[in-house]
Amino acid sequence: MDKEGIPGEADPARINALVSEHSQQKWALISLLQKIQGEFGYIPPQSIPLIARSLGLFPSQVQGVISFYTQLYTQPRGRNVVRVCRGTACHVRGGKTILKLVKQRLGIEEGETSPDFEYTLETVACIGVCALAPNIVVSDHVHGHMNPKKVEQLFRNREDKE
Amino acid sequence: MQAITITLDGREVSGYPGMTILELAKESGINIPTLCHDPQLASVGACRVCLVEDERNGALLASCVAPIASGMVINTHSPRVMERRKTVIELMLASHPDSCLVCDKGNRCQLRQIAADLGIGLVKLQRLPQMVSIEEVNPFLERDLSKCILCAKCIRACQELVVEGAIDYFQRGFTTIPATLNNKPLESSECTFCGTCVGLCPTGALTEKEKTYRGTTQTVTQTICPFCGCGCSICLEVKDGRVLRATPGKESSVYKGTLCVRGSYGCDFIHSPDRLLKPLVKSNGNSEELPWQEALELAGTQFRRIKDEYGADSLAVLGSSKCTNEENYLLQRFARSVFGTNNIDNGSRLYNSASRVGLGSSLSFSGTTNYLTDLEQAELILVIGADPNASAPAISYAIKRAVKQHGVKLLLIEPRQTKLSSFAHLWLRPRVGTDMALINGLAKVIVDEGLLDEEFVTRRTDNFEAFAESLKKYTPEYVEKATGVPGQEIREAARLYAKANQAAIVYGTGVTQHITGTDGVKALANLALLTGNIGRRGGGIYALQRENNAQGACDMGALPKFLPGYQSVADAQARGKFEERWRVSLPAEAGLTAMEMMEQAKKGKIKGMYIVGENPVLSFPNPRFIKEILASLDFLVVQDMFLTETARLANVVLPAASFAEKEGTFTNFEGRVQRVQKAIAPLGESLPDWEIILRLADKMGSPMPYSSPQEVMDEVIGCCQLPAYTFYEGGGHPESEAKSLYEAESGSHRGVGRIHGGQFSEGFARFCPVEYAPPAKGKKGYPFTLLAGTILSHFGAGSRSSRSTRLRKFSSEAFVEICESDARELAIADGEMVKVSSPAGEVTAKVKITNALREGMLFMPISFPEAPVNELFDIVLDSETKAPSLKACSVKVDKIPIH
Repeated sequence: MDKEGIPGEADPARINALVSEHSQQKWALISLLQKIQGEFGYIPPQSIPLIARSLGLFPSQVQGVISFYTQLYTQPRGRNVVRVCRGTACHVRGGKTILKLVKQRLGIEEGETSPDFEYTLETVACIGVCALAPNIVVSDHVHGHMNPKKVEQLFRNREDKE
Repeated sequence: MQAITITLDGREVSGYPGMTILELAKESGINIPTLCHDPQLASVGACRVCLVEDERNGALLASCVAPIASGMVINTHSPRVMERRKTVIELMLASHPDSCLVCDKGNRCQLRQIAADLGIGLVKLQRLPQMVSIEEVNPFLERDLSKCILCAKCIRACQELVVEGAIDYFQRGFTTIPATLNNKPLESSECTFCGTCVGLCPTGALTEKEKTYRGTTQTVTQTICPFCGCGCSICLEVKDGRVLRATPGKESSVYKGTLCVRGSYGCDFIHSPDRLLKPLVKSNGNSEELPWQEALELAGTQFRRIKDEYGADSLAVLGSSKCTNEENYLLQRFARSVFGTNNIDNGSRLYNSASRVGLGSSLSFSGTTNYLTDLEQAELILVIGADPNASAPAISYAIKRAVKQHGVKLLLIEPRQTKLSSFAHLWLRPRVGTDMALINGLAKVIVDEGLLDEEFVTRRTDNFEAFAESLKKYTPEYVEKATGVPGQEIREAARLYAKANQAAIVYGTGVTQHITGTDGVKALANLALLTGNIGRRGGGIYALQRENNAQGACDMGALPKFLPGYQSVADAQARGKFEERWRVSLPAEAGLTAMEMMEQAKKGKIKGMYIVGENPVLSFPNPRFIKEILASLDFLVVQDMFLTETARLANVVLPAASFAEKEGTFTNFEGRVQRVQKAIAPLGESLPDWEIILRLADKMGSPMPYSSPQEVMDEVIGCCQLPAYTFYEGGGHPESEAKSLYEAESGSHRGVGRIHGGQFSEGFARFCPVEYAPPAKGKKGYPFTLLAGTILSHFGAGSRSSRSTRLRKFSSEAFVEICESDARELAIADGEMVKVSSPAGEVTAKVKITNALREGMLFMPISFPEAPVNELFDIVLDSETKAPSLKACSVKVDKIPIH
């Protein structure tokens, strides 16, 4: 994904190129979807008919698969994906408050992406490092023992911008 | 095959390998409830209602997907099974609204039936209502997904049977719903409103809308859809003499329980307020209702007077390709023995005569050569000049199934982009009217590259040399120039067609309705003969018919040249057979075709006409001319369900009953003779056409001694030889009919296709060389080529479909399609009104901008009475069949200034 600019319209020529690699290969659907998402950060909805046609599926079928997997998105996502853990251990140690602070800080709700495409906020059931609770994950980096101060530090640039 | 024996509820039963427990149970008379299972669909084992227990290991198996294995000890109703089954249903009910009392599905709801059978009362589980709003913008079906149990029958029907794929599961877990792409409403999706899913839905999640009458079904009658030539089986549900709804026929193995929007929702024309309920007689320009006796007396007297005064040949009869076989048989007997003339023709002259004559001269049999079930066994299907998606939906389902599920290659030759385009392996887009050059071009490549079936050509055909000689000029280069199809694609298409072991040809009015229609059909027959694709399972030629009984009307001899069974009127022996039976002498001279009747009427040679179930004012070219002629006739009797544009001109209008109100048979495009059953009594004083014909014959003083359609059919079977047709037997019991059909399909003809397996009836099939003539150049100032055709939501000239409230609501006005760049050039926006004119006439319609057309092309539907496309067509006849050209003409488009 373009690290600098704001994700705009996905280039249809590029989508076509990716799609044509798997012509008539129904089995390749998921890996093709991952490839497209890898390149654009999400699966542009307008690519669904192209994918379907090339693989010999119906567009509704492709959409069905995309909507089934939480790892696949049809909306552009932020450059940094923030996942706040709401597992049991994190919950007990104030994960809910952490989530509230992050929301305030980023100005977005769960599942939303900031208008400048800097952040996408999600929650996660458990990331498996309960000893460090409460946890949040930012762009695949785990930040343990979170507290309000650390939240502030972590998203310092955010305040600067606003 | 080794039989497998299992113990089922304590009984030893045997089945064949691959059979599921559910199938074997059904065969053994044990009922296992199901919700997500349907014999036409691939089983998925989603609902778990069909659970059974294997006593050996205690495993609970979904019987619809569990194959039988030897030694199984299956218990279908053990306490454990019943308990689990109950839980499964209770869980479904926990998220199902308690609105059964007001739910339209009522007692037809399978969920409710099973719950009742299991004795489930109030559900004690915590309720988990599904909050979904009801979707009901379209006029056909209502989706209330709060009642959805996610059995996926609708999804599978859409993907496996109709192959539209409009819906699939969306989201997951509790939020899962069946949804269209982007979860849009159905009318903005691929959905064609065929109603197949509504017929399958086990609950009230999918129900039909805007019924003409509400109430609970009392009787269900299986009959045949009255619209296109597919002849789908349809169930009419009736209460108090009114048809409540039409659902797909369950027993039909051919059409797999599918219908299209016309069959599912268009039959409400039956109860249209426009139905004629009493005979009408015109006097002093006004129509007056008259009792049957007097109306018939008047008609009889006048016809007799004309016959006495001007001779029998001053009378003519136009029969209907929509009426039953029996009615057409009676009508031709009426024309020949009561009137005493061979001036009888039927409405299929307009679109079917090219097939009849074309295939007749090549193969000596004029009709589709194979069964529809064969089509899915082809290796390649060539579709040319047809948009089956609109004109014969069940055929398009079969083609799409063949492509999607059996890997059949589709070779499409069609100037317009249609729904089949995206299924095509190769799509050639010739210029309009140049098909014949293209077909000859394909044949040339096949001959030149030695891809022909030499053995077949030598042993079973003649005239090959002359044919090969005639192909000389059709090199890919020449054909490219003529058609606009690149030479490379022509070569590729020829190789695809010739190299397929079984290749079928499907063609429609795009071939037959051109001025050179007959030659076009001959060219196709040549192609099939060249590659040995006749008399072969999976090969053959499928001639699509526009109307439900086009094949039958011709078979029954409603033709000027032929007695029933295509026995020539000139053949004294054939004539003798009927003369003896009917105790009259029959005219030996061929009569007039439909268009010739009009010409002769103009000259004053035809004085009186009897038109049954046809609307020539709308369906013939140059309507103003036709109207003038019919109005000037000495005496005109029209027999119809409605006061059509033609009936308005008649001296006497006789009210006919609809298909739902009569007995008889229809012959579909394959030649399958299927039973039409009476579901309700005729409305008002209307009568079935056969009865009216008999009464009129009585009044004319030459009674015809039949008391039922069955008696007529017995005579037909007795006196004509129709190849390999399947007539109903056993007094018309559906089971025995199905049986005889099955025997015909699987019995002696297996492996060779339906006909032409052995010898052709004239010994050899004949190559008929045809020359391509470039389409006449459009007159100056008429730069566009207009194509006229069928659209899915309407039918024919619109007499019936425009009186179906739901079809009318869905697509209410005529339109003309134009491509984007042409629209830009003319500065016309989508939705603007334009005037389309040709030298013959003009019509106005709303513009629809589309990317389905190329520059210089327009498309208009034929089915809107208020914008009669035929106004634009002048009368130009095919030299052989005397059928008018009604497919393409040159026009111009003008914006209508806003006042």
